[in-house]
Amino acid sequence: MKIKTILLGLTAVTALAAPALAEYPERAIELTIPACAGGGTDTSARKLAILLEEKLGTSIAILNVGGGGGSVGASQFMQAKPDGYALFATWNSPLTTVPQVQNVAYALDSFTPIASTSETAYTLCVKTDFPATTGAEFLAELAANPGKYTYGNDGIGGTMQLAAERIFQAKGIDAIAIPFGGAGETLQNFLGGHVDIYGGSISTVLPYVENGEAKCPLVTSAADVPALSGASGLAALGLGDKETLLWRAILGPKGLDQAIVDKLAEVIDAAVNDPSYVEFLATKGEVPNVVKGEDLGARLQTEYDALAEVSKNLGL
Amino acid sequence: MEFYTNAFVQVLSFGPLTAMIGATLLGVFIGALPGLNPVMAIALLLPLTYSMDPLVALAMVAGIYNGSMYGGAIPAILLRIPGTPASIATTFDGFPMADKGEAAKALKIACWSSAVGGIASAIALMTVGPLLARVTLFFGPAEYFWIAIFGMASVGVMVGSDPVKGIMAAVLGLLIGTMGIDNLSGQARFTFDQTWLLGGLDLIVVLVGLYALPPVLQLAEKADLKGLSAAQLRLNDVPFKPGERRALIPTWLRASGIGIGVGILPGAGGNIAAFLSYNAAKNASDDPASFGKGNPQGVAAAECGNNADNAASMIPALALGIPGNVVAALVLSALTIHGLQPGPQLFHQNPVLVGGFMMEMLLTSVLIFALGGAVATRVFAQFQRLPGVLLVPSILILMCVGVYVINGRPVDLWVMLAAGLAGYFLEKVNVPLAPVILGMILGPMAEQSVRRALLISRGDATELLTRPISAALAIATVLVIIWPIAKAMRRRRDAGKA
Repeated sequence: MKIKTILLGLTAVTALAAPALAEYPERAIELTIPACAGGGTDTSARKLAILLEEKLGTSIAILNVGGGGGSVGASQFMQAKPDGYALFATWNSPLTTVPQVQNVAYALDSFTPIASTSETAYTLCVKTDFPATTGAEFLAELAANPGKYTYGNDGIGGTMQLAAERIFQAKGIDAIAIPFGGAGETLQNFLGGHVDIYGGSISTVLPYVENGEAKCPLVTSAADVPALSGASGLAALGLGDKETLLWRAILGPKGLDQAIVDKLAEVIDAAVNDPSYVEFLATKGEVPNVVKGEDLGARLQTEYDALAEVSKNLGL
Repeated sequence: MEFYTNAFVQVLSFGPLTAMIGATLLGVFIGALPGLNPVMAIALLLPLTYSMDPLVALAMVAGIYNGSMYGGAIPAILLRIPGTPASIATTFDGFPMADKGEAAKALKIACWSSAVGGIASAIALMTVGPLLARVTLFFGPAEYFWIAIFGMASVGVMVGSDPVKGIMAAVLGLLIGTMGIDNLSGQARFTFDQTWLLGGLDLIVVLVGLYALPPVLQLAEKADLKGLSAAQLRLNDVPFKPGERRALIPTWLRASGIGIGVGILPGAGGNIAAFLSYNAAKNASDDPASFGKGNPQGVAAAECGNNADNAASMIPALALGIPGNVVAALVLSALTIHGLQPGPQLFHQNPVLVGGFMMEMLLTSVLIFALGGAVATRVFAQFQRLPGVLLVPSILILMCVGVYVINGRPVDLWVMLAAGLAGYFLEKVNVPLAPVILGMILGPMAEQSVRRALLISRGDATELLTRPISAALAIATVLVIIWPIAKAMRRRRDAGKA
């Protein structure tokens, strides 16, 4: 993924000195993804990059920097030059969740928010023989049996765990969190019966809901999710303000020129709403959601504050 | 069966066929160049495949994956530099063979073994794959803990003549493995406030330094200005002597089984498969002392084991939607881009595509016979003829490019240099390097698994032994430690009688 960048970088060295905005972009853009190749964030970003390449008329080189729940990539990216040729395609967790548990070098103001792209809820699922089916029954069963059930999640202090704990704390539930390396690993341990509850992305578990092995009583969005007809949204349970979503966004380094932000936000908006991208998102249980510029900054701040409270209560 | 004949016809059309041949050659090339590895190459190719016929795209993945697993053996044999992480075990006997003037034979055995392992693995994928995938679900954290311990117990065979030094090397690997964010507590360990250390030390970066730099430095010490003439290289095709191939069959069977078993369990990988196969071959041998001194069985076991890991690692990905390694994750991501949903219904969703990919994994393994033997070996082996003054800088540049490309940060080059110098001095004092890598891979696996298992059992350690599969694995671990000792003692006793 980087060879391309190096080659393009070499040819572009001569063009470095001309920052004229009118012609932006006039060389290749490097897109840092704070996750390994092949995951959900990576796939979404790569697919979007193809559309952005077309609309911007330049090539986009992808750089995967995994590790530390996204904080390694974010820390590396914050040092990039704010010239519009270094962009960051991330999901919300490295920005709003990871700083709650890790001592990271960056803060929300280390980046310039450009635009969010898509979002999806997390879900909590159980095997079909679990003694509860609706969201209300599920929470009642957990509340009645403190410390009995284990739930797998995407990692300690990850967004998925905090999303679940926000709900659990509101209902006084004590369930044991078992952190895994990702939704695939959680699924493997859930299917094998090593943990009682699957906690993770919808698309990963969806095939097993369709074939009748699992049922999902709950999603972490306020609204219901069409793909999971049996699951309650949080609003229906009176917990609408406890919504936590998985969402993706593109950011720049701190101090990115407003004109570039506006141009990119507009192009991203168009690319995300391209029918081919909407259709691609649907296969992963995601919907387009474009929040631009300062509004995106406000969204990040609100989520950061809410999760700070949850993790404080958890003692993380 | 109709399922596969349909897929077969599709795969044998012009596009996928040329893609397979081209990608297998490219794979051998990538594998043969230290620093470049298949994961990187496939990740690089992936965006190109989004707009491509998926069968052609998957043919390229299959070719690169299988080709590079074999390609890694070429520098491992000729220069003692493993081309990929999975070919470390190939250096143990491959390089001593080359040293004895049997380079051509070692390459031929590597080629045949890779092809056999790949074919066996692909057949497993096509036949018992979905069934075996379900079995892997029985493996929870407690079982993974024992698998990691079992793997580490096999270090015993690799510690060389001085067990204390071997154990020191393994402990060094374990220590390095603890660096970075702890996934279970979120605590940063041994990161010294350096953000780039949060993800721990990158395995490939350390590996390239540790394994490739010492041989390169040794080449430099020789200060060879002339290189070898074509005649000195002695790479003419050496036909198998009668019975030679048959003698390798038990090793191939054993290594294929081990490679498939390791591949199907998400998380371990080709290097572990190669190590365990090598270990098993040595344990089964009548003359274990000949291993490490140029025993063809060692090359056969390592190369067959790492290729047998490939197709099998696709089993949980294709059958359950659970990717066991990065290549499998990339394949699933490519399928998602083409509108398929990974999971148990994948086979029914698009049988031609899934069946076709399996067929491509099989055919690219068969291609190794032809391409690996005739074309690739002859061409790549010529590099060895370069005089040291050219060879050394060329390899160094390749290593730097390969390492830099992984995370795109210069600090990794320093890590590589440090690991290389450490490797150079460790070798000077006869500390074996393989246990370092095993410690780095298996340490975090053992630690995280045992902590997860204890979280699940609410701190009750007896559950690590009372579950049937974990109990069996625990017993196997004890046996793998006792076996070589018991065998050595019996031999000594027999020798005493005579």
